[in-house]
Amino acid sequence: MRIRILLACVLLWPAGVFAQNARANAAATEIPRMPDGKPDLSGVWQRPFVADMSKNARDQQGEPNLPYTDWAKQHLIEEFDYSAHCLPLGYTRGINSPMPVEMVQRPDRIVLLYEMNNTFHEIFTDGREHPKDLDPSWSGHSVGKWDGDTLVVDTVGFNDKTRIDTEGHPHTEALHVVEHFRRTDPNHLAYDVTITDPGAYTKPWKNVRTFTLRRDWEIMEYNCEENNKEVNEGHIK
Amino acid sequence: MKSAVLAACALALTAIPVLAHHSFAAEYEANKPLTLKGTVTKVEWLNPHVWFYIDVKDDSGAVQHWQCEAGPPNMLARNGWRKDSLKPGDEVTVNGFRAKDGTNTANARDVLLPDGKKVFSGNADDAAPKGGNKSNE
Repeated sequence: MRIRILLACVLLWPAGVFAQNARANAAATEIPRMPDGKPDLSGVWQRPFVADMSKNARDQQGEPNLPYTDWAKQHLIEEFDYSAHCLPLGYTRGINSPMPVEMVQRPDRIVLLYEMNNTFHEIFTDGREHPKDLDPSWSGHSVGKWDGDTLVVDTVGFNDKTRIDTEGHPHTEALHVVEHFRRTDPNHLAYDVTITDPGAYTKPWKNVRTFTLRRDWEIMEYNCEENNKEVNEGHIK
Repeated sequence: MKSAVLAACALALTAIPVLAHHSFAAEYEANKPLTLKGTVTKVEWLNPHVWFYIDVKDDSGAVQHWQCEAGPPNMLARNGWRKDSLKPGDEVTVNGFRAKDGTNTANARDVLLPDGKKVFSGNADDAAPKGGNKSNE
């Protein structure tokens, strides 16, 4: 029996080598996949810093004419710089942030590990819906569904204590964020985010970005509190 | 030399640093760029932003103490800087922006050593690596 197995191994070995070479060639263009066949979005992603979602910049296209409601026009000025005071950035400012985000994918969820403020967020991909009667929260509740190879993430349940971006574009508790993540090749991810908030904007608007995989990066330590001179010395009220 | 100063001023005027954890406009005057020449007395390589302190001699020879804000240590480290890339005793020229509250506080857009080399460049608005590592770009 053992001899037969050895013989089989010897006979099949060259085929195995060819298969490995074929896989290596395909790996240059094919995206990695999970055992269930879904694209694997795991990795440390370098993303454009989107401080102002109404402007274009490297690797991102903004919406130049934001369709403000009257309420939004009266709330464009951020009276209290909550992020300077180390309060949570909120969901959109987390993905806008200049520091990398690591995506860790499991069959039932994707975990976002943000270097900015060293926080995390979970996107549930097990088919659950948003809970009813969500309490408003800083980062909302996210569920993800696959549309072919595109992950569609739907997030609701926000409080109104954050801003959509560093520039300070306002939103209300009615904010509804829909994002698309699609790995276009082994090193890049096409991303877009649509902002819907009838309290602040008369129609939905969009921002489109490209993320780049950084195999050479690890998520580093970052915190807001250690030497926060801006607030501690009163340069920012 | 004059053209280098002009170039530095043009850069300071056009490239306003965008800070990650607070808005630039809340703390600094975008339309008040300034240039400081002085000696580094202390460097705080700490979160959320690196700060360094310089002694600047004014026209009368009196020393004024200034504090300058640079990028976050994690992002400076990714751009190749280390906590001892700038040291007490270094002579520097800082192009930046003054704080709105009128204190001797500035946001450092550029920090230049006497030989013209930049230190701590790559502010919070600039996650892209500066030279060296081009993989995955």
